[in-house]
This record gives sequence, C-alpha cells and structure tokens, in this order.
Amino acid sequence: MAFLPQERLVPLLTLLSDRMEVVAPILVEGVPVFASWSGQPLALKDNPLMPPQEFFLPQREVLFRYIQDCGSYSFEEAAGKARLIFGIRPCDLRALAVLDRIFGSDPMDQSYFDKRRSTVLVALNCNEPGENCFCDHLGFGPTCSEAVDLQLTEIDKGYLVESGSPAGILILKEHPEFFLETSQSHLLEKCEMLGQAREAMNSCIARSLPGIKEAIKKADWNALGRTCLNCGSCTFVCPVCHCFTIQDLGVPDGERMRCRDTCLLSGFSRMAGGANPRISQGDRMQNWYLDKFEYIPQRTGLLGCVGCGRCSRVCLAEMDRWSLEVKR
Amino acid sequence: MSEYIPRLAEIVDIDIESPNTYLISLKLLDNENFSYKPGQFVMVSVFGLGECPISITSSPTRKTLQLCIRRAGKITNGIVDCRVGDVLGIRGPYGNGFPLERMKKNIIIAGGGSGFATLRSLVNYIVDRRGAFGDVAVAYGARTRQDLYFMQEYKSWQQAGIDVGITVDIGDESWKGDVGLVTALIDKFRLSAGSAAICGPPVMINAVAKKLMDKGFDHSDIYVSMERHMKCGVGKCEHCMIGPYHACQDGPVFSYDKVKSVL
Repeated sequence: MAFLPQERLVPLLTLLSDRMEVVAPILVEGVPVFASWSGQPLALKDNPLMPPQEFFLPQREVLFRYIQDCGSYSFEEAAGKARLIFGIRPCDLRALAVLDRIFGSDPMDQSYFDKRRSTVLVALNCNEPGENCFCDHLGFGPTCSEAVDLQLTEIDKGYLVESGSPAGILILKEHPEFFLETSQSHLLEKCEMLGQAREAMNSCIARSLPGIKEAIKKADWNALGRTCLNCGSCTFVCPVCHCFTIQDLGVPDGERMRCRDTCLLSGFSRMAGGANPRISQGDRMQNWYLDKFEYIPQRTGLLGCVGCGRCSRVCLAEMDRWSLEVKR
Repeated sequence: MSEYIPRLAEIVDIDIESPNTYLISLKLLDNENFSYKPGQFVMVSVFGLGECPISITSSPTRKTLQLCIRRAGKITNGIVDCRVGDVLGIRGPYGNGFPLERMKKNIIIAGGGSGFATLRSLVNYIVDRRGAFGDVAVAYGARTRQDLYFMQEYKSWQQAGIDVGITVDIGDESWKGDVGLVTALIDKFRLSAGSAAICGPPVMINAVAKKLMDKGFDHSDIYVSMERHMKCGVGKCEHCMIGPYHACQDGPVFSYDKVKSVL
C-alpha cells in the first residue's frame, strides 16, 4: 500500500508509457474514451461510455492470417502487445472477471487471453457514482471486488494505491520515488469516500436484484419488443456482452476476423435456408435479460450484469431497462 | 495454438446424393488421429468464404471422414463447388454426440430431410456394432424420391437386421414405396419402447416425439439433434443458445424434455 501524490500521477504514467502502451480515459471530441495515452489531460470524472473491454475483445480483430501455398495453407497468429490500462472502474473489472470465465472455459480462447495476460490493469475506485450506476445494488462496487494489479482511490491530495498482483507490486517497487508511506488516516479516508459513494448511489436509484428478476419474470416481451428500435446499442456498450461472429477477408491469402455481433439483431440466430429460432424482437430481448440474470450466473457463478447503467444511457427507445414497464 | 486455427483436410471424393446435396470424403493432411462420436459436428472452412458447422455423416467405425453438404448458403455452396484435391479447414469434432452408453436397447432412428445426414453416422455405427443395440428401426422421410440420401446403403442396413422404412411427401410413378409422414412409418414398426434419435424440421421432431411417447417411450430417452447457427463451435460466440444451453457444447444432441419448449 502506498500514497501517490496527485501531481505525481502523470509523471508516473509517462514513465510507464516508455515500457508499454498506456491506455487511459481521455477526451476525444469532447467525449471521454479509453484510448492510447501520450500525455493528454486525463478525463477521470465519468466512466467512458465505451468500456475498456474493447482492448480484449475488439470490435474487429484478426484471429489469424491464412496464406495459400501450392494449394494448401499455412497460418500466422499475432502476438499480444504489452499494455497498461489506467482508470478501469470496478464494474468493468467485474465484467472482465465474467469474460475470463466464459473465454477461459474449455477450450480456452487464446486470442482473448493473449491480450489479457499482456495487460496490466490499474483500477480507479468510484468516489462519485454516475447517474445510472447501481453496482452496489448487485452486491459489489464501488470498490474493486476482483483481484487487480493496482487499485487507486482518490483521497485528499492524491491516491491511495493498493497492489493485488506481482505486476502491481513491481510497479511500486521499481518506482519508489513516486510513492509516499501511507497512514491509518489514508485508509479511513478511503472507507469514508466509498461509503459516501454507496450512499449517493442508494439515495438516487432504488433498484434491487430481486426487483430486477421479478420484473424479468413479469415483463410483457411482445410489447417491449415493439418498443425496442432494434439498434443493438445496449449490447455494444455493455461490458459483459461478448457475442461475436467470425468472417474471412481476402482471397487467396487473407485474415480470419472476429467481429463483435449482437444477439438483439434479427440475423443473429438465422440459419442458412432462413429458419430463425428467435424470430421476434421480444424473444431476443427476453433472451438477453435471461442470459444476464440466469444463464451467465449458471455458467460462471457471476451475474451477467455489473450495474454500470450504460444500456440505460444509450437506449434510443428510452426504455426503462430495469422496471421493464411498457410506456403507453 | 489458437483453437480457431483449423486442421487441413483434402477432398478425396465427391459423390452426389440428391440434386443439391453432395457426400464429401476427406483426408486430414496432418495424418493424426481424428476420433469422434456419431452426432458430433465439425466447423468447415473454405478460406476466403468463412466457416460453418456441418454434422459428421460417416461412422467412426469406418475409415473415411465424410460430410454430407446441401447447398444452403454461401459457405456450403463454396464447399460443394470444390473439386477432388482441394483443401478445406476442419475444426472439431465438437458437440456431445449421441449418448451411446446411455441409450437403451431397442432404438428408433427417425430423420426428416437433410436432418438424416447426422443420423446416418449413428445407423452405420449400429450396423458395425450390431450386437449392442437390440431391435433397431430406421424411419426416414424426404420431399421426393430424388431428395432421398444414401439410397445405396438401405439394403446393407436391412441385411444387418435393421427395420428400414422410407417415405416421401410427394410420390411419382418411379416411386413404389410409402408416401406420407415419418410418423406413419413408426406405426408399422413392431418394437418395444427403448430410446430414439431424431433429427429434422421442428414440426417433424414434435410429431415423432409425441408418437413415440404414446408408444411408451420416456421423453428423456428421446434424443434430438438440434440445428443452430454457429460461429465459434466452442461455447463463446453465443449464436447457438437454446435457453441456458449452447447447442455447440451442451448439444447438438439433447433429450426431448430439455428442448421441447423451443421446438
């Protein structure tokens, strides 16, 4: 555990960026996004709309290259790149834990874990919940409940830094000049800040896991399906959503690409020949909710929702995603 | 190495089963073992077009790996447009296959249309391990006589003591056999209740399962091979979800009680 004075954060990141790519939330056209950082002002107020899952399961990535050779083929795989993600929030960290279990189930997904293993995660606990946040109602957050290389909590004049892995300890040990000793008061300050964050979350959003499950049970999926605009936005901002498709690009040599897909679009389950087992938008919405609150918990032991509230922020139909009441 | 990198297989033979369906025999170029069970499937790659799931048509008791491919979309067209000597990619085998060790003696195998492709693997497996399965009957229906697959093999199945019933939806002067539904064939079989393996369109699966349950089969002894869109084959991409199950890993063979709500 250590204390990192406010003014030393940027110099520390600058030093680390010599060794590896540093990704951090910065403003791009006025919007906070996780992007490659090279000294730009950090945008740490709100969690960006696009989760850092992009760096493990990109919108599109090359799984391998196929090269034709005298009628046969050879293959080339890309190697993972050393990277540090600064500012990942507890909810997105939790979502990574869910993805680790899904992509780690037999057979393990090499492409995902290549990136996962070559990435150092520096999390930032949430002192101020966002407008739609409800992680605390799901039983975790606004502090990290998963192991993380380093976690930072903003306290007076700096950050309380806690390490949770050899990679995190190494950063503390290799750069002692940046850190100061911690005192009991720093820890108390952290508890107080996070306690306030919890309170703030509880006072603005009344939502509970049993309440959400009940709403899913009672929902009128046909009516909700008619309200939904079939845009798929909620699935692209969800840090747990991971549906993908696989496509080839190029003849005779080319790339086998993995591209993000969404189970809310009608073509997702359509088979060659036209049969489609989830034909209505209501069926697809119900499947999305059941996956998050029933199926993923059965498979991984963790909820498929992390309470980040991003789906509410982007819903074009302005649905109440959690009461699932239909506006008339 | 990534699970997504396929093994290479050369097409050694192409046979025509119906005007739009071909039987493709493959030889794996790495010469390493490829063991599988009836009811499992592989992901087949045509490099440049992509990959799709295809059930294995051959029986593991026989030497050649065979796939039965119907022209249905971009990739299946790409496969059947290949020539002998061309190279495809193969990943797998994936899926659970038929639970041979759990299936009770006295087995009915019922297929409709191209769904029969996966069942042929089971039928030939039973032919080669005949003693273990008690009474066995095969009921197979297709649209017309021209759409029937594996016609040259029915005789060898009968010679192995299997009751074989074949029917078509639309008969013509060249067809002397049954015309009508697969369920009508099942009425003709004299076979006490055991297990069943079904693959075909959902309406046919439901009708056959209902008929079998009337005859005393338990719904948990009726095994259905489900068709779903798939991309990864390994339980990650979520295309093939059937409720909480992944058809690619938990299936494609399910007992009827698990999937009847989605059929």
